[in-house]
Amino acid sequence: MTNDNLNKLLVFCVLFCAQKTSIVHGAQALETKVALLLHAEPENPKCFAEGMSDLTCFWEEDEERTGSADQYSFIYTYQNENSSECSITALPAAGGKRLYFCRLSQTQLFVPLDIRVFRDDLLIHNRSLFIELVFLLDPPANLTLTSTGTQGQLKASWLPPSLKYMGDSMMYEVSYAMAGSHIGKVEEVQASSELILRGLQSGTKYKVRIRVKLDGISYSGYWSAWTDPVLMETMPGDLDPLIVSLSLIISLVLTLLSLLVLMSHRRFLLKKIWPIIPTPESKFQGLFKVYGGDFQEWLGHSTGGLWLRPAYFYSEEFPAPLEVLSEVSLGPALPSSALPPKASEALGEEDEDEKLKRVDSALEGWRETPQEHWPMDQLRAIHQHPAPWTQSSLLESHDAYVTLNAQNHSGEELLDDILEETLPLQVLFASGRTSSESRSDLGSFQQSSGLGRLSSQSSFEYPNHTWPPKGPGYTYMAVADSGVSMDYSPMSSSKIDDIGKGVIYTNEYKNEIPAHRRPIGTPIPFAF
Amino acid sequence: LFSGTGPVVVLLTVLQWAGRGLPSPVRPICDPRVLDRFIMEARDTETALRGCKAGCGVTGTFVVPLTNVDFVVWETKDTEEQALEVQSGMSLFGQALGAVRESVSRVAVQILIDNNKSNIHSLGQVLRSLHIQHKEVKQSRVSSLSELLHVHTNFLRGKVRLLLTNAPACQQNST
Repeated sequence: MTNDNLNKLLVFCVLFCAQKTSIVHGAQALETKVALLLHAEPENPKCFAEGMSDLTCFWEEDEERTGSADQYSFIYTYQNENSSECSITALPAAGGKRLYFCRLSQTQLFVPLDIRVFRDDLLIHNRSLFIELVFLLDPPANLTLTSTGTQGQLKASWLPPSLKYMGDSMMYEVSYAMAGSHIGKVEEVQASSELILRGLQSGTKYKVRIRVKLDGISYSGYWSAWTDPVLMETMPGDLDPLIVSLSLIISLVLTLLSLLVLMSHRRFLLKKIWPIIPTPESKFQGLFKVYGGDFQEWLGHSTGGLWLRPAYFYSEEFPAPLEVLSEVSLGPALPSSALPPKASEALGEEDEDEKLKRVDSALEGWRETPQEHWPMDQLRAIHQHPAPWTQSSLLESHDAYVTLNAQNHSGEELLDDILEETLPLQVLFASGRTSSESRSDLGSFQQSSGLGRLSSQSSFEYPNHTWPPKGPGYTYMAVADSGVSMDYSPMSSSKIDDIGKGVIYTNEYKNEIPAHRRPIGTPIPFAF
Repeated sequence: LFSGTGPVVVLLTVLQWAGRGLPSPVRPICDPRVLDRFIMEARDTETALRGCKAGCGVTGTFVVPLTNVDFVVWETKDTEEQALEVQSGMSLFGQALGAVRESVSRVAVQILIDNNKSNIHSLGQVLRSLHIQHKEVKQSRVSSLSELLHVHTNFLRGKVRLLLTNAPACQQNST
């Protein structure tokens, strides 16, 4: 028994609670609708139908006019029917006002309804209406947002109000906006229970709400209250494949164009970006590769090729000194060749310097064959086999030759510190006391300096090309110039046995014109 | 002005098939938009002639059916009874609009009345094709054209629409 009583009590409590919940919920809904109608309906009493067979009417009274519900009477009359009265209930409202309600549970549609409200037999409200035209429905239930699988779209679905015969007369208004924004859009849909929202931003949260109203053809009414907003985020943005592909194509085309431009101007660009740094390596062979840039060391180990070529530095400025060529003629006297008039004139009339140059050029011009070793060999042969000179002389060409003759006239006098190689011809051949006046075509050499005791003889003093030996101890140096190099070799006279009597000083002839001067006492490089 | 003869012919064909029990591929009358157009035209006529002076020259009384619908009561009636009420009412309206047509002299009014008469006639033919017996229904009287048109509109919005919306043939096709 106790258990049964407890069970009954439990069931009663559950039902009571459910009813209370529904009552509370109903009360809240009523309060919302009343507020809506107070705003939307100007006439009194304000009436609305929630279903197929009900009608709720109310009016509001100010505080000073409020009274008990008994003071009021609500009389309604359908067309062609008798009048009826509705019971009134009063409820408190905000601001000290009061609301008076009349609710009909059985109604007739599509027929005019006359309503009259009396307060203490005084008509205060009079209205004629069609009940099917004052519907105020509950908001749609179960509003749900789902993704359609397409970007920028959301699908809203809801449960239509369960009103018979009115499903195809319902009109819905869907309001959607980005969460947090007050600016939204509204879309209407009729006789449907779902709507696809398009044109939404990707990856954005939207809030959606909906309300319902009858379409006004057969049934009409007021907009229901909005549902509670439902939030949902749209699909994240994805790159439009068309945009991606177009971007790739454009970037590829631009890359190719830039490459073409670079390739067509690569030389110019290389010069600008990577200029060639001039290097002196070609001029200093071995300086960097062998000696690592050590110039001192390179100078010490160099083959002197540079020194052998003073013309590298001074070729354009300084002329080469006179080439001295000595030769012994063993052959028949050759007809004297006439000197080129240019040389003879030059030698005979011009100054010493210019004569020197002219002779030099003349001597070079007379060479027919570069037989540099020919006079040397012949001279050696003469010394080894001294024989009278025959006409099969060595001089088969017209080469000119000059001999240097050092005579100890004054004894110990030495030449001053002059460098033989640098002395012009007249100095080399000049002698203070001797004059080698020649009747040669070379002309006479002026003996202006009078420094040396060297005497010279040229081959042209002996037109018959007889070259008498000078005397004992006569030494000379043979010079052979092939035009490429000069070959010097000291020679002595027939008394070569007496070489011990004299000292032949030899020195390498260096075809240079150094600026320094040799100190006094340095042996004279020329042999004599 | 909308002429409902086109869709009504199709309607007649469809309902004949439905009456014979053959499945009909198309039931345009089941589409509420068809009747909605009739309703809107009747309302437009009512609005247009509301300000007509002296009732547009129409005098006399007209017998009209009752238009009130109590859903609780309505649902207790079967489809045939409902159709009977609708058919009787449509017949009364046809007669009344015919009398009005003879009374009016303005061409504009005549055109509107003719349109509504055409709509009523089309609906009446659909119902008559169902071989519904005629039955006396509750009636009322109106004494002006505006009232007549008003009742006519209400009748179409109410009973006629309810009948066609819930007709068994239309219920089979509805989803």
